[in-house]
Amino acid sequence: MHNNPIVHIAHLNLHYAGQAVLSDFNWHIYPGENWVIGGKSGTGKTSLAKAIVGEEKTTGKITFHFNEHNPCPPRSYYVSNWYQFTNLEGDRNFYYQQRYNKFQKNDTLTVYAELIHFGQKNDLQYSDVEPILYALGFENCRDTQLIELSSGEHKKLQLVQALWLNPQLLIIDEPFTGLDKRSRTNLLSIFDEVAHRGTTLILITNAPQLPTCINRFAEIENGQLNVVEQATDFSKDAVREKKPLPYFLQKEPESTSQTMVELKNVSVRYGDKVVLKNINWRVKAGEKWLLQGPNGSGKSTLLSLLNGDHPQAYSSNIWLFGTKRGSGESIWDIKEKVGIISPEMHWYFDRNATVWHTVASGFYDSIGWFIDVKHEEKKRIEQLLDFFDLLPHKDQLLHTLPLGKQRLALLARTIIKNPPLLILDEPCQGLDVAQTTHFNSVVDELCTHGNTLIYVGHYESQLPSCIEHQLILENGEVVEEITI
Amino acid sequence: MANYFNTLPLREQLNQLKHAEFMDSNEFSDGVNALKGKKIVIVGCGAQGLNQGLNLRDSGLDISYALRKEAIEQKRDSWKNATDNNFNVGTYEELIPSADLVINLTPDKQHTSVINAVQPLMKQGAALSYSHGFNIVEEGMQIRKDITVIMVAPKCPGSEVRAEYLRGFGVPTLIAVHPENDPEGKGWPYAKAYCVGTGGHRAGVLKSSFVAEVKSDLMGEQTILCGLLQTGSILSFDKMVEKGIDPGYASKLVQYGVEVITEALKHGGVSGMMDRLSNPAKIKAFEISEELKDIMRSLFQKHQDDIMSGEFSKTMMEDWANGDANLLKWRAETGETAFEKTPAGDVKINEQEYFDNYLLMVAFVRAGVELAFETMVEAGIKAESAYYESLHETPLIANTIARKKLFEMNRVISDTAEYGCYLFDQACKPLLADFMKKVDTDIVGKNFNEGKDGSVDNIQLVQVNEILRNHPVEIVGVKLRQAMTAMKAIKTV
Repeated sequence: MHNNPIVHIAHLNLHYAGQAVLSDFNWHIYPGENWVIGGKSGTGKTSLAKAIVGEEKTTGKITFHFNEHNPCPPRSYYVSNWYQFTNLEGDRNFYYQQRYNKFQKNDTLTVYAELIHFGQKNDLQYSDVEPILYALGFENCRDTQLIELSSGEHKKLQLVQALWLNPQLLIIDEPFTGLDKRSRTNLLSIFDEVAHRGTTLILITNAPQLPTCINRFAEIENGQLNVVEQATDFSKDAVREKKPLPYFLQKEPESTSQTMVELKNVSVRYGDKVVLKNINWRVKAGEKWLLQGPNGSGKSTLLSLLNGDHPQAYSSNIWLFGTKRGSGESIWDIKEKVGIISPEMHWYFDRNATVWHTVASGFYDSIGWFIDVKHEEKKRIEQLLDFFDLLPHKDQLLHTLPLGKQRLALLARTIIKNPPLLILDEPCQGLDVAQTTHFNSVVDELCTHGNTLIYVGHYESQLPSCIEHQLILENGEVVEEITI
Repeated sequence: MANYFNTLPLREQLNQLKHAEFMDSNEFSDGVNALKGKKIVIVGCGAQGLNQGLNLRDSGLDISYALRKEAIEQKRDSWKNATDNNFNVGTYEELIPSADLVINLTPDKQHTSVINAVQPLMKQGAALSYSHGFNIVEEGMQIRKDITVIMVAPKCPGSEVRAEYLRGFGVPTLIAVHPENDPEGKGWPYAKAYCVGTGGHRAGVLKSSFVAEVKSDLMGEQTILCGLLQTGSILSFDKMVEKGIDPGYASKLVQYGVEVITEALKHGGVSGMMDRLSNPAKIKAFEISEELKDIMRSLFQKHQDDIMSGEFSKTMMEDWANGDANLLKWRAETGETAFEKTPAGDVKINEQEYFDNYLLMVAFVRAGVELAFETMVEAGIKAESAYYESLHETPLIANTIARKKLFEMNRVISDTAEYGCYLFDQACKPLLADFMKKVDTDIVGKNFNEGKDGSVDNIQLVQVNEILRNHPVEIVGVKLRQAMTAMKAIKTV
């Protein structure tokens, strides 16, 4: 006979934008169980998680039976798949390059101040968080401002807070997104540990590796819970129909330079902190590179130098498309030749932009909106939206789509002008295996037409196959340069 | 130094005041070329100085920062701002003599001493830029006749100037050339190129004059932008507490309400803001604001008159000479008001509630925007300038109140604006005393629609809508907002 379920969900109904997401949904979660919710994208997994912690409006009944003898606090906690923070003045009107512009007045709290604040609010001991910081390789970020964290580091901060709180019910949406390999491995054993100590876990993920404590698997089908035996039984998104690339992408991009990128002894420091150290790197036209390194190793900073986003590029020996930085070119001259996508750009993207506007803005390298779109450009937008199966969503606001579709729209924005250099910084973050495979096959196909590629990805098994060179960073230094 | 405006004959005064022409985007087709390869030296590296410099450099221009020797030696914030972003930094003596364009982005109050230090070092035929014309117009600073004097004034805080540029847009900007200082005719090409370099050309540019900029800027900031928002906020808070509304709720409603309300103003003008109210509430707000306009019109006119005659700047400069005695005293008093001292309560107020429960502020904003606009236009300022200095800037100032109340607003705005704001506030409160006696919680603190059935008289509603939509500030607003295509919602609370 079972104890009381820790969560009892009965006859839950949830609507989003006029559509039923959950209908007459029932679920019991018992102590000792640890669940993974997986399966297709857009089935309502995130909505369900939010409903459990009371962040979504629903009808039906959700009852909690927390155990008073359990040492973990009798409460639930949800870690969302997107991070959120505000500046010291309470708003979050940031732009994605802000972390590179230095202004003496602090814009946001430091990690340490944020943790102290979180600890006070939840009555926690700071000494308890120290081991978690080490386990996730986050101990050196204490004095970093929130605005300066990369997306992977933000994820770690969210996890640190959740694990420190140690609630009886912990729901984590995409726990592994953006984490490097070492952190992922450590996180697996941390999950086993907290489960052992009495926390019930619900992980929303399709990640290939799961903690051993996971003993229940389910997906959402037609608004109801469908329990399966194991993760391999999750239903997968239909394999996408292979379509030919639009004509305008089947031709070689216009480019005048043999060398796309050249860095000679480039260093970036903030005060005493060295972020990049003596980087030498040459990317020739048509080469396909993989850039790798743990979270915080300097990858995003390096890429920001190549896209005209970093002020320190002006005093360094950097040549882009054959022109030395700081010789009278504007950042718009550079951006015109670069198609970039990154988690940070995604996070700070204009929330008023529709899918169509998002793609159109790629012609002008602007974030959201755009000026006048010509007839020929409109045609291209339609063709590309069709290629990515986004036509039915073209008038929807970008941020209301499932994450996977948002990423595809941003990829479309990136390639709409057929740029000679593609910089794809963790483009598949938040996508499941099927979506990632699809995404990478598009990248492969694109690159057969002569584009130069710089790609960042943490999963070695999930990379485009066209990669031929590899640059590995650690603590801001190049530790290896490999030709595959 | 004599007040420059007062030295002009009337016809020239009128001529310069009415200078306001909305520029077509093809006037900027030459991009930054007029300044390409020129040595540009920015004096001052605060929020405007740093962020404009970052934009100009990112547009391919050659930027350095000239700072006072002490700022460099003591590694002050301005020095850190410039060096942390890898700019070349030097003293006035090191950088000014080779500069083709010197951009003065120091606070108003320092202009005279900065110009006195910089001018003798400037080479023959160089150019000097301001972002506010107070020093030229009110203090009557005379610049050497070989030097070209221009103004480029982005109508937003420095952080926004940078953020919008990197998003691929810009902020609305006002540009001008000083008619007494354009010996080579390069004033306009320089001003336009500078404006392109900051991204301003994408968001709407107004060709103005030093005189028009100063006289309209002072008027806007003293009355609707800061003065009226301060008076309205304090009176609303005190009234709610007097009538038994929970002080935490009242504090939150006032602190954030003005931002939410003026966000609607930003997108749809006065009528857009009024349309957020139910029909009966709109009619009520209309009636109250009509009464407020009647009561306050004379005060708005007095402020405009004092600005035109130079009386305002004379009084304020006397206070500068007196160690800011009045300014500091009034600043301290503002910090002591009950509103300032009551923290916002931990209550959830949804967006629509800010309109429904704070109808009085909607009325204040309509009255203030229209009065400021009407008074400026009557005084000879063109509608375009008057729009920027009244309606356009109100949401930006409201944003500072939402951050940390009035103290924050007064900290962020210039000392000149702050001084004028206190003058207005002190005169306006007694003027509104009788009016406030009639005010009850139905228009401030509680939902006006409660217990009403929502019906209104057709004809009356049509008339009210017509008056709102046909006001000249709405007519010019529709045109100017169209140019700011990239306008985005700041955020909601």
